[in-house]
Amino acid sequence: MEAVKQVQKKYATRALTLSIIVGLLFILMGQKSIGKGLVLGTVFSVLNFILMGQSIRWKLGHSKAKTLSIAMGSIFFRYLLLAIPLIVAIRFEQFHLVAAVLGIFMIQLVILADHIRTLIPSIRRKQI
Amino acid sequence: MGFEVETVIKIAAYTGGGIAMGLGAVGAAIGEGYTAARANLAISRNPEISGDIFKSMLVGQAVAESASIFALVIAILLLFMDAATPSLLKAAAFLGAGLSMGFGAIGSGIGSGYPGGEACFGISQQPAADSQLTTNMLIGSAVCQTPAIFSMVVALMLIFIDFGNAPLTPTWAAFIGAGLSMGLAAIGSGYGGGLAAGASCEGIARSPQSVTNVTTIMLVGQAVSQTPSIFGLLISFILMFKSFPESSMLATPMALLGAGLCMGFGGIGPGIGNGMAAEGAVRWVARNVEHSNELMRIMLVGQAVSQSTAIYAMVVSLVLIFVV
Repeated sequence: MEAVKQVQKKYATRALTLSIIVGLLFILMGQKSIGKGLVLGTVFSVLNFILMGQSIRWKLGHSKAKTLSIAMGSIFFRYLLLAIPLIVAIRFEQFHLVAAVLGIFMIQLVILADHIRTLIPSIRRKQI
Repeated sequence: MGFEVETVIKIAAYTGGGIAMGLGAVGAAIGEGYTAARANLAISRNPEISGDIFKSMLVGQAVAESASIFALVIAILLLFMDAATPSLLKAAAFLGAGLSMGFGAIGSGIGSGYPGGEACFGISQQPAADSQLTTNMLIGSAVCQTPAIFSMVVALMLIFIDFGNAPLTPTWAAFIGAGLSMGLAAIGSGYGGGLAAGASCEGIARSPQSVTNVTTIMLVGQAVSQTPSIFGLLISFILMFKSFPESSMLATPMALLGAGLCMGFGGIGPGIGNGMAAEGAVRWVARNVEHSNELMRIMLVGQAVSQSTAIYAMVVSLVLIFVV
């Protein structure tokens, strides 16, 4: 489980750092709502990713019925959690909707970017 | 009993939102379940590296979940957004958006679970190829999401574009047809792309030195597998943006609805078939790298033949739109 924790820590930190830097840049450029929407979406994307890993631990060592209810409950809760930034962005103009949508995919974007970043040098090395 | 326009829009938005999330959850759940099942098998074979397998499972599931998050975005927009220009046509557009996203997320969700599962199993066989397998799994899963992204684009267009003064009949049928064409055609492509990506992870685990050939053929195979969903997208765009003259006949809207259904259903089989052709080629290239060119050629010919039924469906759809 330590490996899972390390992966979560790595991607959660990168996603949050990236969104804060990009969000700050937007805020400095006068696009406050975009910056706030991006950070809001990313916070919930990170929470969802952490819960995904944590729920593995909670499911272990229980009866079949309890494990099923924890699994179903965690899925339901995680989707509810991801709906929050979208509802907030729809209801309040301070948060840009498109930026919030991008934010909730930040973990996936960081995971893909991380692997593509390591793939490109290995392709170059092979070509040489 | 008559309804006000606002009430009809709410009914359509709630129904569309329910369809989007309800159907959108199906594929991702199956895909994530498959990944977890293969991870279990992998851990039972090689419990010493359970941490690495867990890690790959988590990352694979996070990407496989994207399709259902797209569906969640559309469902929330439908449930909480107010229509800028309330009209009965907007109600049809909302229903079309729900259908496009709901059906469109099924194939991508299931498909992107395959590379995740095969990568976990592959790591148990070849722990040294962990990094190559994870990278290949992520690329394969990401490409699988393309049909779901097309579906989300169509859904967002239906929600946000103001279609002005288009006549209610037959345009309502064109919007629902657009949603069905895109959503249904995306099922096969998403699933088929997953078959190719899963086989490539299996191939890399079997023969890590074949990674370049396997990844190349996987990407070519997946690209061709996406074609039926591109046909679906094309018919959706025509249905959304062609202006239809007002008609009081029932036959005209039914022809447009039929066009959407024809392309939608017609795209499912070819998407899966193309994926099977790509799966075969990718799997055997890993075992026989020297003959990768011949295998790729056979794959492309097989996919072209499998594609023909999607072309027939597109031709009939175009006839229904432009001739009937």
